[in-house]
Amino acid sequence: MSFGWRLGAVALSFSLLFGVLALRLWSIQVTATADYEDAAESNLVKFVETPAPRGQIRDVNGVLLADNRNARVAVIEGALVPRQSEDQLVRNLAAFSGRPASEIRDLVDEARRRGDRVEVVHELTEDQVVFLAEHPEEFVGVRIVETPVRVYVNGELAPDVIGYIGRPNADDLEKPGIKPTDVLGKAGVERQYDGVIRGESGRIKYRINARGEILDQLGEQLPAPGGTVFLTIDSEVQEVLNSSLGQGLQLARELHREGGCVPSDEDPGCPVRAVGVVLDPSDGSVVAMSSVPAFDPNIFVEGVSADEWERLNAQAVFNNFAIQGVYAPASTFKTVAYMAALEEALFPQDVGSADDNSYVCDGLLEFRFNDGSPQLYRDWLENGHGNVDLHGALHASCDLYFWEIALKIWNGRNSEFDQDLLQQWARRFGFDKSSGIDLPFERSGLIPDQEWFEEAQRETPLLVRDTPWAGGDVMNIVIGQGSVLATPLQLANAYAAMVNGGTVWQPRVVHHVVTADGTMLENTPLAANQVALQDRTVALLRRDLQQVVNGPAGTARTAFANFGPNVEQVGGKTGTGEVIKGGLGQEGELHGDVDNALFVGVAPISNPKYVVAVVVERGGSGGRIAAPTAARVLQFLLNGPEGVTDVFAGEEAD
Amino acid sequence: MALTARRTEPVTILQRERTLRPDLFLVLPYLALAALGIVMVYTASAPRNELLDLDPATTVRRHVIFVLIGFAVFIASSLIGGRTLRSLSIPIYLASLVALGLVLTPLGRELKGAQRWIQVGPFQLQPSEFAKIAVILALAVLLSTATRLRWFHIGRSVLLVGVPAGLIFLQPDLGTMLVFAFVSVIMLFVGGTTVRQLAFIGLAAIVMAVALFQVGAIQEYQIVRVTSFLDGGGGDDADYNQLQSEIAIGSGGFFGKGLFGGTQTNLSFVPEQSSDFIFTAVGEQLGFLGGAIVLGLYAMIVWRLLIAAANGRERFSQFVAIGIAALLVFHVFVNVGMTLRLIPVTGLPLPFLSAGGTFFIAMSLGLGVAHSVWMRRSPVPDE
Repeated sequence: MSFGWRLGAVALSFSLLFGVLALRLWSIQVTATADYEDAAESNLVKFVETPAPRGQIRDVNGVLLADNRNARVAVIEGALVPRQSEDQLVRNLAAFSGRPASEIRDLVDEARRRGDRVEVVHELTEDQVVFLAEHPEEFVGVRIVETPVRVYVNGELAPDVIGYIGRPNADDLEKPGIKPTDVLGKAGVERQYDGVIRGESGRIKYRINARGEILDQLGEQLPAPGGTVFLTIDSEVQEVLNSSLGQGLQLARELHREGGCVPSDEDPGCPVRAVGVVLDPSDGSVVAMSSVPAFDPNIFVEGVSADEWERLNAQAVFNNFAIQGVYAPASTFKTVAYMAALEEALFPQDVGSADDNSYVCDGLLEFRFNDGSPQLYRDWLENGHGNVDLHGALHASCDLYFWEIALKIWNGRNSEFDQDLLQQWARRFGFDKSSGIDLPFERSGLIPDQEWFEEAQRETPLLVRDTPWAGGDVMNIVIGQGSVLATPLQLANAYAAMVNGGTVWQPRVVHHVVTADGTMLENTPLAANQVALQDRTVALLRRDLQQVVNGPAGTARTAFANFGPNVEQVGGKTGTGEVIKGGLGQEGELHGDVDNALFVGVAPISNPKYVVAVVVERGGSGGRIAAPTAARVLQFLLNGPEGVTDVFAGEEAD
Repeated sequence: MALTARRTEPVTILQRERTLRPDLFLVLPYLALAALGIVMVYTASAPRNELLDLDPATTVRRHVIFVLIGFAVFIASSLIGGRTLRSLSIPIYLASLVALGLVLTPLGRELKGAQRWIQVGPFQLQPSEFAKIAVILALAVLLSTATRLRWFHIGRSVLLVGVPAGLIFLQPDLGTMLVFAFVSVIMLFVGGTTVRQLAFIGLAAIVMAVALFQVGAIQEYQIVRVTSFLDGGGGDDADYNQLQSEIAIGSGGFFGKGLFGGTQTNLSFVPEQSSDFIFTAVGEQLGFLGGAIVLGLYAMIVWRLLIAAANGRERFSQFVAIGIAALLVFHVFVNVGMTLRLIPVTGLPLPFLSAGGTFFIAMSLGLGVAHSVWMRRSPVPDE
C-alpha cells in the first residue's frame, strides 16, 4: 500500500468516528429529545410537602379540646440533599443535633430514598434557628419548617374519646395516600375521623440547582386544614364523670384496705379502675365517657420517659374501657329478663302475673335438673327477700325469682318457648354485638348460647367443662353471670333503649364536623334496632328502676339517701359481678370475693335524658361503690354544680 | 479526491514566498472554536461562580489569557520551518521526559487523586499535554528516517512512546496513555507498518494491559468508570455525571435552549462543565445545530491537516501533520463520545473549547506546527 492509500484509509476511519458522533448527537437531540426534556425538567423542579394542620376537636358547646400550635422543626428534605455534600451534611447535623452520625446517615438515606422530608430536630430553640439560618451552606438540604403540632387542651379530660396521634405503622402504610412521615390518628376520634381531621398537605414547587439550593419558588398549593370536629361530649359532664370515677375508685381502694391500695398480682382484690359512660337515650349521643386512671394524650406528641410509659402501659390506661372493657353485667342484666317477662308473660312456676307476689324469695332454691340431679342455688342475700312479685324481685334484685324465669324457659324449651328466648331479648337490646359507635376498637361482648358453648367445647376444650349445655347455664345468663360479657357502653345503650320505648341507637361521640371551607357535615343519629315494647312495659320498668333507688327495699337506696333534690327523678339498677370467688388462697389464707361493682342510672325517670353506666373494676358491691359514684354524676345532671356532693359508701347490696 | 500532490513544475523562490500564507480553512475554524469556547466557558461557569460569591467572569478571564497565549504560540509555531522543527524535536522530546519526571517528584501537585501538574508562577502546567506533541514530533523524526519500516524501527517506536507513557501511567492518567496509543498506531500505519507488525503491537498492548490489571496497578476509579459504564449505571458518580450530561444534551433539542437557558449546565447539574464537559454546554444551549457545527469545524481542521500531510514537503512534516490530526480526532471522539454517554469517562478535554490553560496552549502549538506544514507545502497546480 502506498502512502496515499494509507492516508486515505486513515481519512476514512476518521470520517467514521465523526459519523458515529453525529449520529449519536442526532439520535438524542432530535429523535429522543422529549424524554430528555422531561428528565431535565424533573431534575430541577422539586416538590416539597407542607403538612396541613389537623382539624380542631371541640365539645358539644364548642369548648376547644384539641388544637395545634406551630413548632419549628429541622427537616432533611430528601429531594434537596445533593449527593456531593451528603457526607458533610451528616457530619454537620450530627454535631448540631448531638445525635450519632450513623443515625443521621440513616435519616438522610431515608429522606433521599423517599424524596420526602424527615424530621431531624423537633422543636428547635431560638439559638438553633439562628445558627441554621446563618450557616445555610453547611446544611444544604436541611430546612426549618413551621410544623403544626397537636396540642390537647386539658389533655386528661377525655383521652378515651379524643384519642391520640402517632406515626403510621406497617398496616397504616398500606392504605392509599399514607406516607411514613405523616401523622395519623391512632385512637379515639383522632383515628376514627382521621380522614376529615387530617386535611390535605400542600405542595411547594421549587426550582433548584444541582446542589439542592433553592433558586426560586415556582408555585404553591396551600395545605387544606382538616375539619373541626364537634363532639357530643359535654366537657362539664365529662369533668364531673372524671372526678366522680376518681373519687369512687379512691373510696373503693380505701374500703379494700385502709389507706388505699395499689393493684398488683399480690393484691388481686385491689380495685383496678373505674369506667363510666353518660348517654343520651333520646338519640344515642355520648355525653361523657371516661376511665380512670387516665392519661394525657399530649405525651404522644411530646414524648414521655420510658419509665413513665412503662407505668402507664402496665395500667392499660391507653384503652378505652367504656367500649373495650368487657364485664359480666351481673344484676344490671336482670332488666333483660324483666322486659321479656312482661312482654312474654314469663313468670316462675305457679306465678300468674307480674303483680302476683305469691312467690317467696327465700335464700335457697332447691330444684332438680331434667336429668334428675338435685340442685341447690343460693341468693346473694342469705335469708332472702320474702314474698315478691316481678317488681319487688327487681327492687331487691332477688336472684331466685329470675332463676325461676330461666328454669321456666329451659323446661318449656321443647314446647312453649324458644330455648334462646332470653338470649334473643338480650340481643335485641344490643348485647352480643358492637354498638357501632364511631370509635375504633369496640368490643362486642358475649351472650352465650348452646351453639356458642358447643363451639367453645370443640375449640378450647380445656377451658370449658365437658358436661353439656344445661338449664344452669341459662340461670347464669339471667343474672348476667357465667359467660355473659358486656361493655359499659352496651349496658348503657341497652338501658337507653329500654327506657326510651325500644329504640336501640347507634351511639355517637361526634355531633357534626365543620370542614375548612365551612361545610357542615351532620352526623345524624341512627337507630340500630327498634324493639317492639308495650308502653306499659316501659312505664313499669321506669317505675321499678325508680324504686331501686327510692323504694324501701331498693338496692341503691342508701347510695342515694343523701342525694338531695330530685332524687325521685332517678332510677337505676345495681350489679355485683363475681371476678374471683372467695375462699382459701394458695397459702391457706382466707380471702373474700372479688367483685366488679356496677350501676346503671337513668334520669329524669319520667322523661329520660341521661343514662349513666358505671363499672368499678374489682370495686366490690354495686350498691356500695358503683351506685354512689354514679349518683354524684346524676346530682350534677339534675341539680347542677351546686348539687354535687362527695362520693361516700353505700350499703353492701347486689 | 486526490490526497497526493502531483509535482508538475519546479519550485521557484518566488513561489515559495507566495505560498507562505495562512490556510484560512484551518485558521478560521480554529479561531471560531476558540471564540465559541470562550462563550461556552462563560455560560457554563458564570452561574456557578455567582453561587460561590465569586466574580462570574473569574473562570473565563483566566481562560481568555490562555487563549491569547495560545494564539501567539500558534502563530509562532506556524512560522517555524520544517527543518528547524525537526532539529528541535529530539530536544523537545527529552525536555518533556524531564518535565514528566518532575511531576512525580515533590515538585508536582496532586489534584483529584492524580499527580499531573507542576506549579509555574500562578499557573499549573500539565507536562503531559506537551508530551503528546513531543511524542508526535519524535515519532515523526523516527518514521521519516526509513521508507520501509523494519522490526528494528518498530522496537524503537515502542520504546520512544513507551517511556513517556510509562511516566504518565505513574501519575496516573489513563486517558493520555490511550492518546499515545492511538496517535502512534495511526502514525505507524501511515508510515508503512505491515499488518504483522501492527498485530504484534496490538498483541503486546493487550498483554501489557492484562498484566497491569493482574498486578493491580490500574487505579480503582478507572476500573469503576469502565464497569459503571458497562453496567448501564448504578448510581455511581461517574455514571451520574455522564447521565446528567446526556440529559443536558438531549434536552437541548434541535435548536438548543439558548445561552444561559440550559438548566442542566447553568444550574450545575453537569460537573466539570467548563472543562471536560464543555460540549454538554454546547449541546444543551445551542442544540443539534450548534453541536453539528462544532463537529463540522473539527472535521474541517482535520481535513486540512490531512491535506497538509498529503502535500508535505518532506516525510517528517507529513508525519507531524498526521500525528496532530490523529491527536485531534482522538480527543474529539473520546470527549464528545463521553458527553454523549457513548464511551466511558477518561478525562480528556475538548481541544480549543475546554477551559484548561496548558491544553489550549499545547493544542495550539500542535496545530501551529501542522499549519506550518501546509504553509511550506509542495505547490499545488491550481494555485
